[in-house]
Amino acid sequence: MTIVWLFILFISISLGCTESPPESTIRIGLSIAPTNLDPRMATDAPSARVNRLLYSTLVDFAENATPLPALARWEAVTPTQYRFHLLEPRPTFPNGDRITAKDVQETYRSVQDPKTASPHRGIYQNIQHIEVLSESTLDFFLLHPDSLFPSYLVIGILPANLIKIAHPFHEDPVGSGPFTFHQRPDDTRLILKRRKDAQLVEFIRVSDPTVRSLKLLAGEIHLLQNDLPPELVAYLAESPSISLQHKQGSKFTYLGFNHLDPVVGQNLIRKAIAHAINREQIIRFVLGGRARPAHALFPPNHWLGSSQLEGYAYDPPQAKALLDQAGFSGNRSPVLIYKTSTDSFRLRLATILQEQLQQVGITVSIHSHDWGTFYGDIKAGHFQMYSLSWVGLKTPDIFRQAFHSHSVPPQGVNRGQYTDPVTDDLIEQAEGASQNQTQQQIYASLQQRLLETLPYIPLWYEDNVALATTAIRGYTLRTDGNFDGLVDVQWTQSPSTQPQLTKETRSGL
Amino acid sequence: MQHFILKRLMSALVGVLGVISLVFFLIHMIPGDPVDVMLGETALAADREALRQGLGLHLPLHEQWWNYLSSLAQADLGHSIFSGRPIVELLLERIPATLHLSLTALGVAILIGVPLGLLAATRQHSIYDYGSMGFALFGMSIPNFWMGPLLILIGALWLEWFPVSGREGWNAVILPALTLGTAMAAILARMVRSSLLEILDEDFLRTAHAKGLSPFQAILTHAFPNALLPVLTLVGLQLGGLLGGAVITETVFAWPGLGLLMIEAIQQRDYQVVQAAVLCISITYIFVNLFTDLLYAWLDPRIDWQDPS
Repeated sequence: MTIVWLFILFISISLGCTESPPESTIRIGLSIAPTNLDPRMATDAPSARVNRLLYSTLVDFAENATPLPALARWEAVTPTQYRFHLLEPRPTFPNGDRITAKDVQETYRSVQDPKTASPHRGIYQNIQHIEVLSESTLDFFLLHPDSLFPSYLVIGILPANLIKIAHPFHEDPVGSGPFTFHQRPDDTRLILKRRKDAQLVEFIRVSDPTVRSLKLLAGEIHLLQNDLPPELVAYLAESPSISLQHKQGSKFTYLGFNHLDPVVGQNLIRKAIAHAINREQIIRFVLGGRARPAHALFPPNHWLGSSQLEGYAYDPPQAKALLDQAGFSGNRSPVLIYKTSTDSFRLRLATILQEQLQQVGITVSIHSHDWGTFYGDIKAGHFQMYSLSWVGLKTPDIFRQAFHSHSVPPQGVNRGQYTDPVTDDLIEQAEGASQNQTQQQIYASLQQRLLETLPYIPLWYEDNVALATTAIRGYTLRTDGNFDGLVDVQWTQSPSTQPQLTKETRSGL
Repeated sequence: MQHFILKRLMSALVGVLGVISLVFFLIHMIPGDPVDVMLGETALAADREALRQGLGLHLPLHEQWWNYLSSLAQADLGHSIFSGRPIVELLLERIPATLHLSLTALGVAILIGVPLGLLAATRQHSIYDYGSMGFALFGMSIPNFWMGPLLILIGALWLEWFPVSGREGWNAVILPALTLGTAMAAILARMVRSSLLEILDEDFLRTAHAKGLSPFQAILTHAFPNALLPVLTLVGLQLGGLLGGAVITETVFAWPGLGLLMIEAIQQRDYQVVQAAVLCISITYIFVNLFTDLLYAWLDPRIDWQDPS
């Protein structure tokens, strides 16, 4: 009898599943779900990427990361006054109201308001006040001159009337972007509707990369972008129903050091490590060739990037000689603790680096922790050597944040407590330069200085990779890994007869 | 009976208090700062401090603990530090998914484990016995993180009968339930077999046979109900574990249940959500155990209500 009752219960419960959206919904697999759909509050990359689809911003970036007019064009009236003119036709909010200068003013005013508790408030401290001149013109008045100011205006614009009534944008976003919020069945799924043709696009969080790949193979999701181990990318690319596109990316991976440490605090040791790492081999055999060696924070195709920088060649004898100079010769070898996360791919990289450093006589002990513990340790300065990546770097304010001696946490992200008066001076000079060309020259000198003093050892820039089933076409990858390609991607009813991803984007490089 | 339930509930309250206090102090001890998670590293020091004060994180740990208990007493679980959503809302979103998966897995386990155990016991030392116990060994030995992808490969990719993961569609629960259920079925089959073997030589069964019942009838109506008691305890314990969230299975199948919520919250250092999830799990454990004890006493008239255990 018990079995019968349980069986009935089993059947009844089995019917209690969640609803599926229409079959023509384009589905994208994510490793981490977007958590906050209020652009004033979001700090994580998935939220920022989805918010770009929901909201319009004043300024956007070209492929080389120079700021471009998006909602508005601008002019510097004085070094501390920027005038923005909203471009026509102005986009509309879902209720049909066009974006006005008042909406822009209220959005930035609310970010500056301590009551909003926006994590981005610090970026806009330099704004003294914002003045609306007409429905489509407004002025930003700054406390200090900043020639890079327009490139910071990337917060999605919210409707002023809803800001005033403290609308919960984080769960009911209202923007003027190419998509509108449609539904959030649970916090692992988010469905958006494209405004131009009502096409539904669903983001599904599947944390396990193998399961994400299997879902793509089964056609349950139609697009995967990044966050996959290279071997899975290679495996999926072999499937005739899946197209692969890859494009040079700006995700910068580096080795970080604690500069207060008696061993890795020595420049000679860091240089020895730089010469001991065979980047080319790792890129070729471990990353599947989908990365470029890095010599600086910004890749050469960035407006501040430089192809003139010469990195540290793989040279084990030179590494040994440098260790000798540092006093590590004979039986005396440096023993380093390398911290990393428990991610299997990052662990594999760690073991390869361990092996390569062992070849020149540096013993490395790998300590892997769950992400929260690992990242907490890095931010607290509890490390000797670690590896991390910077994602989405566009503006040169990162130099101050990461390398200025005043940016030691909690004032910034100089986690290794690197101090170099020359670097500080170059950062300050560059920030104060009014001419773009002068600024570029100073930043080039700064990057050369960083390469010599090695606060980080630059490793590589990872390519962006997108894998799509033939159920969709027209998706294009961006250098920054954003989902802007979803604005034009098409659902195709008969996948087998449709062309796959466009040739330009397939070649990518 | 009322006295017994009251006594159990009182001791459960002490247990729950112990569990949530332990979790409270442990989660606050591990490295990682929720203020960093919320504001990022580039936030202003003043904003960080304001948020720290707003969340009460500036207070000494024992004061934070007391405040947390006071909020709990007012049934206030608070808001998620990370998403800002009320925790009750998050739990209500996840509990149905966990119930759905757990009860289906239990159904799978019973449907597979009980018949196998019966078969093995009644055909002791036969090929059926060895086959059933072989399955049990196989089921217990395979970890869920391997069984899950294997079932996905067969059921979703080769046969195309089930979705790979998620909770959409009536059949989405089958693969995760099979993953969880087979391990449990294996243990259940062994338990049913050993319980039945102890009973098969009892006098009352000989009497049942003597009065003309077929072997099948005798086993089903006399032997099996008497062998159920230890099985029931096992099922109760397993169900308690399942309702607490099958972390690995929920992760592999992207099943939006309580286990997955807790893992995500631990990774994000979302203190409030971790505490609420643990509270929910410990209460579930206690109630399932209480229910099992009551059922135990109800099924076996020899058991005294004063002390059913």
